[in-house]
Amino acid sequence: MRPARPAVRFHPSRTVDFVVVGSGAAGGIIAKELATAGLTVVVLEQGPRVEPPQFEHDEIKTLFQSALQNNPAGFTFRRSASETAKPGQIQLLYHRLVGGGSVMFTANYWRFREIDFIERSRLGAISGTGLEDWPITYRDLEPYYTKAEWELGVSGEPGPFDPPRTRPYPLPPLPVKSSGVLFERGARALGLHPQPAPLAILSQPFNGRPACQHCGYCLGFGCEFRAKSSTLYTVIPMAEATGRCEVRPNSYVRRIEVDRKGRVTGATYFDENKKEQFQRARAVVLCCNGSETPRLLLLSVSSRFPNGLANSSGVVGKYLMFNGYSSSSGVFERPLNEFKSVTATRVLYDFYESDPRRGFYGGGAPDARSFAYPTIFALGGLPHDGPSWGAAYKRILRDYYTRTMNVDGHSTSLPLETNTISLDPDMKDAWGLPAMRVTYKDHPDDLAMMRFLQDRAIEILEAAGARRTWRQPVQETNLAAHLLGTCRMGDDPRTSVVDRYHRAHDVRNLFICDGSSLVTGGRGQPTATIQALAYRAGEHIAAFARRGEI
Amino acid sequence: MLADPLSRRTFLAVSSTALGAAWLAADPALVRAALEHAARAARSPGTPEPVPWEVLTPDQAADLDAIAAQIFPTDDTPGAREARVVTFLDRSLATWAAQQREPLLHGLDELNGEVERRWPGTKRFANLAPERQLELLRAQEQTPFFQQMRFATLVGMFSLPAYGGNADKAGWRVIGFEDRYAWQPPFGDYDAEAARGR
Repeated sequence: MRPARPAVRFHPSRTVDFVVVGSGAAGGIIAKELATAGLTVVVLEQGPRVEPPQFEHDEIKTLFQSALQNNPAGFTFRRSASETAKPGQIQLLYHRLVGGGSVMFTANYWRFREIDFIERSRLGAISGTGLEDWPITYRDLEPYYTKAEWELGVSGEPGPFDPPRTRPYPLPPLPVKSSGVLFERGARALGLHPQPAPLAILSQPFNGRPACQHCGYCLGFGCEFRAKSSTLYTVIPMAEATGRCEVRPNSYVRRIEVDRKGRVTGATYFDENKKEQFQRARAVVLCCNGSETPRLLLLSVSSRFPNGLANSSGVVGKYLMFNGYSSSSGVFERPLNEFKSVTATRVLYDFYESDPRRGFYGGGAPDARSFAYPTIFALGGLPHDGPSWGAAYKRILRDYYTRTMNVDGHSTSLPLETNTISLDPDMKDAWGLPAMRVTYKDHPDDLAMMRFLQDRAIEILEAAGARRTWRQPVQETNLAAHLLGTCRMGDDPRTSVVDRYHRAHDVRNLFICDGSSLVTGGRGQPTATIQALAYRAGEHIAAFARRGEI
Repeated sequence: MLADPLSRRTFLAVSSTALGAAWLAADPALVRAALEHAARAARSPGTPEPVPWEVLTPDQAADLDAIAAQIFPTDDTPGAREARVVTFLDRSLATWAAQQREPLLHGLDELNGEVERRWPGTKRFANLAPERQLELLRAQEQTPFFQQMRFATLVGMFSLPAYGGNADKAGWRVIGFEDRYAWQPPFGDYDAEAARGR
């Protein structure tokens, strides 16, 4: 999968067909789709290029010091517009490097289901929220889920609640871990229907990449074997192999430029020496994630677009969704050794759909998870009401480390107009640009759904024979890895940012495709949907370009 | 910081103390430099003790070693002392955690002040009898200094030996972790049992 020849280099003054901003889960795919369709592409990635041999099992560097996140900016946070946002109150987790979050994600690869696209019509309006149907349906997206699974490499096995699929998974599930066996035992005892967790990790060699070696360092780490299906070593080399795509790392875009006719002309960015450059292009695609994309649009003000680019609706940055999350643990009699192999091997979709009998909106799924990086476990893996140091702590740590598993809940976030990405009026980033400001307060139903799934998790652990269970208290979100909904897709230019083909309503040659495009957030694992959207958008955008419609 | 649920937990576990969070805020470039530094400083086999400290005085090193040994004590298995957590502390404070040096050593001075108030004539924590060390630390459990020492001791105990602690992978062996790049199923007792049953 290496490029067949040295990757092409374009001078910034040369007008390429497309600038793609961001090289992650979506950007890598869009670049490949456009380049293989015969178009010239420059991908501007704000982080460095790190290749798999450089990935390490180093908790200090990778987890504590965010070596792969490369966050030079920071952001401010507040719960509501009436507060003054302060730095350091929330963590948004995304990764600034070629491949983006697809390098370090856990690799859960859940498709959305029919219901996720039509929930507003099924349930009716939910007062005070922006719950809406998508302009496309599951059926529209299904071929692209399939394409993503087969081109990137996904392992799994359909279960009883899965949406229809036109092709089976390309690869069988990863071997079940002890946590998966116990999860199945507990769930079945309760009459539930656990199934193998779909993962973008290779269970067998695939497309020249080796199978997973079960080293155990998926969540938060890059895969040195290339068994995790990151865009870094799947579609990006395919794009480069065309000779029409340059991936330009350490290129931090500060502004999308427009001409007097309101068309975008390219991107102004800081190169690695913080020197400004301008890359000309016939069209621009933003794939910077659900936080950076709206920020870049808001930074790109002009006399023609005084409220930010593509923001005549005022919706840019609004309806931010994170996905709900809860975590529970159980300790068992014998060793599970959860430090080995992939993070999750079993999942349960019985609670996926919203159920009015629960008394609140929401749905989600618990999965069987490891939580076993040694330093992290020592710091935070044991019950919080027990000893945290000394001889008694050490005894429990020695007993629990190999015998503990998690059941984590992943769930809905309602889209709220008041949950936003905006520009901080005071704080600047390392380049002197306004820092990102996050305004977020969980809807009460989102918190209720997190608690609901946590109760189910404890029941499953107990039914599986745990000798002790404990919970991480459910609380308002202070850390988010899924950044969704901030440039939502829709047919109405007054209430959405992009149309059903990811074209900005306001700007004919500007496209946006990443987590920001999502109208609803699904049940907790958005990457498969972001990538299916990217394949679909890439196909349409290439067709527009060929027909001269950009 | 960290990623996904993992980070949620550590974020809670660590950032509950501002000082713990400060340890996490260092520049990754400093961490890389620290690793190289640690690799250069790593003693070759047979080098006699004691190694010179980078930033700690011998007295400070003795105190921090004693505190770490109370936080993760030696029993029938190695503790912080055998894992050379104090070497990890010294190297970290010399490099990537240099910003923590002043607050940590200030906290140690305050602890030693408390030692002398409680037991006049004894000037340093390391000179207390073990039961008195324990008594004092129990009283100090909620202080930022103690929380920082807990954080740093556990990180030194379980992080890569290249950082100076976890000597001979002692920390990992104590809890049953093994850092390998490849495993084969079965991974644990329950999946082994399930595979046999099939």
